[in-house]
Parts: sequence; structure tokens; C-alpha cells
Amino acid sequence: MTQGREIAVFAIALVVLAFGPLICPLIQLDITILSEVLVTTLAVLSVNLLLGYTGLPAFGNAAYFGLGAYGAALSVTYLHVNFEFAVLVGAAAAVAGGLLLGPFLLRRRGIYFGLLSIAFGQVFYFIAYRYTDVTGGEDGMNFPRPSLGPGFAHISIKEVQFYYIALIVFAVAMVAFRAVVRSPFGRTLVAIRQNEVRVRYLGLDTDRFIFVALLISALMAGVSGALFGLLINFAYPLILDWHQSGNFVLMMILGGAGTIWGSLVGALIYVIGKDIISTITPLWQIFLGAVFVACVLGFPRGIVGSIGALVRRRAVSEDVSANEAFDANAPIEVGRGV
Amino acid sequence: MSDEILLEANDITKAFGGVRAVDDVSIAVREGTIHALIGPNGAGKTTFFNAISGFTFPDHGRVTFRGTDVTRTRNWRRIEMGMGRTFQTPSVFPELTVDENVRLGVRAHAKQAFRLRTPTGAAAAAVDARVDELLGFVNLTAQRGRLVAELAHGSQRLCEIAMSLSTDPVLVLLDEPMAGLAEAETERIVGVIRDLRERLGLTVFFVEHNMRVVLSLAEQITVLDRGRLLAEGGPQEIAANEEVRRAYLGREVLASA
Amino acid sequence: MLHDLAPQLFNGLVLGAFYAIVALGLSLIMNLTGTINMAHGSFMTLAGYLAYSLVLRGTSFWFALLAAPLIAVMVGVAVERTLVRPLYRREPFYSLLMTFGLSLIAEEAFRLIWGANGVPFSPPAALAGTVSLGFMSFPVFRIFIAVVLIIAIAALAFFLTRTRYGLRLRAAVQDTEMIAALGTNTQVLYAVNFGLGIFLAGIAGVLAAAMLGLSSTSGNALLMPAFVTVIIGGMGSLFGSVIGGLLIGLTISMTTLFIPAASEVSMYILMAIVLMVRPRGLFGEEGIFG
Repeated sequence: MTQGREIAVFAIALVVLAFGPLICPLIQLDITILSEVLVTTLAVLSVNLLLGYTGLPAFGNAAYFGLGAYGAALSVTYLHVNFEFAVLVGAAAAVAGGLLLGPFLLRRRGIYFGLLSIAFGQVFYFIAYRYTDVTGGEDGMNFPRPSLGPGFAHISIKEVQFYYIALIVFAVAMVAFRAVVRSPFGRTLVAIRQNEVRVRYLGLDTDRFIFVALLISALMAGVSGALFGLLINFAYPLILDWHQSGNFVLMMILGGAGTIWGSLVGALIYVIGKDIISTITPLWQIFLGAVFVACVLGFPRGIVGSIGALVRRRAVSEDVSANEAFDANAPIEVGRGV
Repeated sequence: MSDEILLEANDITKAFGGVRAVDDVSIAVREGTIHALIGPNGAGKTTFFNAISGFTFPDHGRVTFRGTDVTRTRNWRRIEMGMGRTFQTPSVFPELTVDENVRLGVRAHAKQAFRLRTPTGAAAAAVDARVDELLGFVNLTAQRGRLVAELAHGSQRLCEIAMSLSTDPVLVLLDEPMAGLAEAETERIVGVIRDLRERLGLTVFFVEHNMRVVLSLAEQITVLDRGRLLAEGGPQEIAANEEVRRAYLGREVLASA
Repeated sequence: MLHDLAPQLFNGLVLGAFYAIVALGLSLIMNLTGTINMAHGSFMTLAGYLAYSLVLRGTSFWFALLAAPLIAVMVGVAVERTLVRPLYRREPFYSLLMTFGLSLIAEEAFRLIWGANGVPFSPPAALAGTVSLGFMSFPVFRIFIAVVLIIAIAALAFFLTRTRYGLRLRAAVQDTEMIAALGTNTQVLYAVNFGLGIFLAGIAGVLAAAMLGLSSTSGNALLMPAFVTVIIGGMGSLFGSVIGGLLIGLTISMTTLFIPAASEVSMYILMAIVLMVRPRGLFGEEGIFG
């Protein structure tokens, strides 16, 4: 896709989403579900950066997500901060978690990295579980949604306002994500995924790249978590559990690993699908598991990835002369599945 | 051939679970030479290469590069210091284009890889020029837009060599560059290796099994056998060396050279 | 305090033996094909429920102890053939994701078949009660568990080191292509290896169900500690799984005694310490990042 076309698609998507509050009542969808989709997309982006682009088994991102949510919840409950600050605290907590865990995670790759990620997530889970006095333990903690703005300007945030805040954050996140993955830094991440040894033998310290990617991922997941907590006015231990990490990974695969829009598509399908199916049957988890298994076995590229592959195949089958003008800055579509 | 020792390995020993893959080996590579490392299968050549290039660390011994002790230096740091390396199976980025493969190394060397903004203007032009230069050197300019996975084995090897040059090394380590190549492709690689020294003034240290190539290309040859140093010398000496003949299965190998 | 120390040590060893057995099953499956079986806990729970159902229908506990794991193995082999095998050529996290999906299906299926609440499953009367050794009394069932687990581990060790097929299995871990070239049917080998891992999980599942109770999420409680065991013991080392399991069991039981609030996170702290000092785990293989 050329740059111009990308901007057009993005603009159209934003415009469509901007009409969300008007469309939702027509299709009997609660606006909060759409907010949840946008907020969750950030978490999926965070997993996509590490797993889809860099090829690292990021199965512990629920930890950062949960840190974000609890950061918001605790700061609102005990420090009475306003909305922006709650998000900021949540994001900071998540990044702190990333700084803490990074040195451990960097020591290994492959399965170890994945298992370590899960294990660390579980530590935070148990801390939230046990610290009943502070975090409310197993039952979680309810907290009120603070208003937006500095001390004097109390803009209370109902669901519609929340949706537009989420939309803005989503737009910023998508632009930032695209900037990162298209940058020289991002392309190095893609190279690391294909052959980390060769990247090192080109004189690059891959640990540094991965650490920064980890922090960016933690930041995005933290913002996602903080907003999620503020959306449902609730923080509970299970959002730190590795099953939650697994859900993010599933969304990434569904939408398309290694693609930018795949994260939104995956979040959309999961959140809305879960909402619809759980009204039909309480056994929606079997559906979820089955989709997971089917995706991994037969559909590893996900939706956006498969479309991308189809487009590429059509382009290659035309007579592409190797001597044609070559644009070195053209986007690299990875999208080849996990 | 200068007398400066560029790379020196002293008493290198590396064992894997009780088996000494490399046993007390010392080699000096002089600046500006084409130096070959040969030996029968299992002689420890790649293990030795790995110790020199930082893929693994030796159990005992010292590696000195350009006067600095690099025995425990990280591999990416050794590349920064001026080493370049290829592997037995071409170590490239299969899902990226030839251009992208070479560009990453050039960017890395220009300290542009760890950046969020894609450089423009003079900096970008310099990178472009260097990529063009490298692709031209290995004659892959026409293939620059193709995915490396789709290239023939020989072209992949050439791409890898270009990548190893992208960081401006003074010493290039080639691990079995002719492995799996057809006759015509082999000639091409031999030409490139010669050019590395003739046109670029680099030092080449390579492992190889193709004796004809080794004897015609190398000025200095080191022979390993079962992890130990067997012989060292110029092509004529080595070809005439009885122990070397015995180490290889069959004298025909060297007799026909 | 000392009064509590001895029983806690014993409990720690029993717990450790559980972790060791589950970790051994995980390791076996991981070492040969790189498959990370996130559904391992589900197989444990399956065996537990099957034993419960068998006993309910009148069979003896002893029969169930053997039959339930065997049925679980049959399910496991079927799963391996249809769902796991296609993923061998791909990177390990495909199998991790797929088996994770399986565990979700399994958990819901258990709820469907056996109900959302836990079911009562207790050891047979013959094994109830305690045995007194003067200074303290041990529950008979725990002693029984310890004995069974030790026998199972010993049997596994015997199989792997003293039988020809066991040797082939170990050789296949080193070089599957070579073993195939030498005439071994690798498809059967994969199935046997997987089945062996599931069998171990099955035994642990039945015993854990009798000792700790049984619900749809039982298996997962032992799964994470088993993974931590594999990390601490070192990837690729079965011996490491045993030692790691015992270490974790003791760590948890000692922490429960002295700092109860930290009991669940203690194993993760232990893991962090081990990884700081020795990133490859206690008995693991060397990594390649110089």
C-alpha cells in the first residue's frame, strides 16, 4: 500500500468509528463494547510488536495490562487523582514492570522467554490476589471513574465521552505503532525475528533492541489496562492471569500477526464475538478454544495477513521486472503468521 | 604480505561434554593474507571459527584481534571492531529483499539502525550509495528487489558476503563458502574472495574442503585434525606434507591438486 | 516450631514429587518435539475425573488408579496424532497456543460433563488414617502417594536407561533423523513419547484429585509450578526436573510455614534467583548468545 492510500484508509476508519455512538443503537450494540474493542486493541498491538514483528513469545503481557489497571485503580482509590493521571500512573506502573522484568527476560529466547513471561505474570497475579487489604483480593476492587481535567475543570466522563477518549488514544497508538514498525528500529526487529544471529553479526546488540521493544510493549499494554479498568470501573486479579495473555495472543493471530490493522480486527472479532456468543450459550469458552485451535492449525496468518498474502501473490504473478525502480522505503508487510 | 598479525589465537581449547572439539590450537593470521583452515570432517574448524568470532567462548586460551584481547567480547562488538563472518549455511534474512539484507548492515555501521526516524538527505544518500556499491561488488544489483529465499544458493552466498562487508570489516571469516555450490558458482565465489584482498585490501580467513580451491587461493594454510594443530605453511609445503595426506582419506585428494 | 517442621518437610517432599512427575511428563514431550503442552493440566484433570467416575460405578480405587491414566493416554495419543503432529515442523509456540486452546475447551467440557462445582473424591478406606512414628504422625495416603511417585520415577528412569526402546527414545531426542534412518518408526515414537508424558500426568492427576480435591480447574494449579520446575531444573534435563520439583516443593512448604503470604510467589522468587545465577537452569544446556 502506498503512503497516500494508507492515510486514506486510516482517515476513513476514523470517520466511521467517530460515528460509533450513532451506529451502535441501530445494531443493538452497547457503546461500551465498542470502547472495549478500541481499548483492547492497544493490548493486542503490544503483543503484536513483540510476537508478530520481533518473533518473541510474549505470553505475559497481561502482567503489564493488569499493572495498568491496578495502577489506575489504586491511584484513584488512595490518591484521588483525576482521569489523565490515573492513566499515567497505570502506564508508569506497567513500564516499571517492564524495566524490572526486562533483564531477566533478555537472558533467554524461545520457549524460555515465553515461560518466563507467563511466570512473571503469575507473580503479579498472586500479589494482587493476596494483598486483600490493598487490592481487594480475589473479589477485585471497584473504583469510581474520576473526571477529566485539572482541579478546577471537572469534566465528568460518561460512556459516550469515554468512547471518544478511547478513540483518540486508539488513533494516537496506531500512528505511533506504525511509526515504530516502519522505522529503522522496527525493521531491525523484523530482521531479528528472521535471524537474530545474523543481526548480531552485523554489529548490533540485539538485547538493546529487544529491551526497548519490551518497554514500548509494556507501555501500550499499560495504557490499555488503565483505560480498561477505568471503563469497567473495576480491577480484578484475573486480568493479570496468563489466560488473559493468551486471549491477547489469540486476537493477534485472528487479526493477523505482523500487521498493523490486524490488531484492531482481532480485538473486534474477539470482543464482539464473545459478547454475542455468551448471550446464546454459556459455553462460549469452548468456542474460543476451538477458534484458537483452528486458527493455529489452519489459519496462522489471520485475516489481515491472509488478505495481504493474496494481494502479494497477485502482484508477483504480474510480470515484475527486477530492473524496475525499487523503493527502499516502501513498507515491509510481514503478515506471514506467527 | 605484511608482517602485522591481525588475529591471534593462542592455546584455544573447547570441549563439548568430554570431547575436545578444539585442543590447544594456536593460529596467527597476518594482515593482508588469504589464510585457509582445512582438515578432515570433525577436525574442529567451525568450533574454532565460533570461538574466534564470539559465537561461543573457548574454555581456555586467548583471542587477540588488532592488539586487543577479545576472548570474552560479545560477538556484535567484535563485528564493530572489524570482523565479518559468513556461515556454512548462508545466514541471511530470507523474507526480506536482497537490498534490505545489505541495507541493514550498512545502516548498522552508520549508526542508523537504532533510530525511530528514517534518515533523509545526505545521510540517506550515503547509505544508498554504499548499498549500491556492495551489490555491485557481488554482482547482485539486478536481483536487489527479490526475496533472498527465492535466490539460488550461490546468489544467497554472495548476498551473505555482501552483508558481511556492509560493516566495513578488516578481517572476513568465511565458513565453507563453497559448500553446496556448482562448479560455475564456485568460480564466481573464488573470484569474489580474490577481489576481497586485491580490490578491498581485506584479510581473509576461510574454512574450506575443496582442496583445489584452497591450494590455488590461499597463501597460508593451517591444518587441523581431530581438534589439534597438524601442520602450517604455504600451499606447496602442505600439499607435500605426508601427515596431512595421511589425515585425509586417500592421497588422491592432494595428488590431483 | 520444630514440631511443625518435620511434617512440613514431608509435605514439601510429597509436593515436590508431584511437581517432579508433572514436570517429567512436560519435559519428555518438550525434549523430543519441542511441543509445549499447555493442556498437560487438562489431562491430569481428565484422569482425575475418569477415576472419580470409575469409582462411582463401583470399581476399586486401585483399578481406577491404573485405568484412568491409561484412558487419558488413549485420548492423548489421539490428540497427538491429529492436532499436535502437524505442528512439529513449526516453531514451538504454535504448539503452545494450540494446546492452550485445547485447555480452554477441556475446562469447559469438564464443567459440562461433571458440573461446575468440585466433586468429592477421597482415598479408599484402606489408605485413610495416619501412621504414628513417635515424634509425629504421617497421613497414610501421603506416604502411599510418595511411594507411588517414587516408583513411577524409578520406572521411568529404568525404561529410559535400561531398555532398548528407551534408549532409542533418548537417541531420538539427540537426533531424530538419524534414528529414523536407522529404522525406527518415528511416528510410533512420537506417539509413545507423548503417551508416556500423559501417563505420568494421569497418575499425578488421580493422586492429586484424591489428596486435594477435584474441580474443572484442578490441573492448572499444578501446571504452572511444573513449568517453573522445568525452567529451574533446566530445559532438556529430566534429572533437572526431578531435582527442581523437589526443590520447589520444599521451598513452598517451608515458606508456608514461615511466611505464609509469600507461599505462592516463593517458587517464582526461587526461579528468579536461579536464573540470575545460572540462566540455563541448574542442569540445562548452554545457550548460544555470546
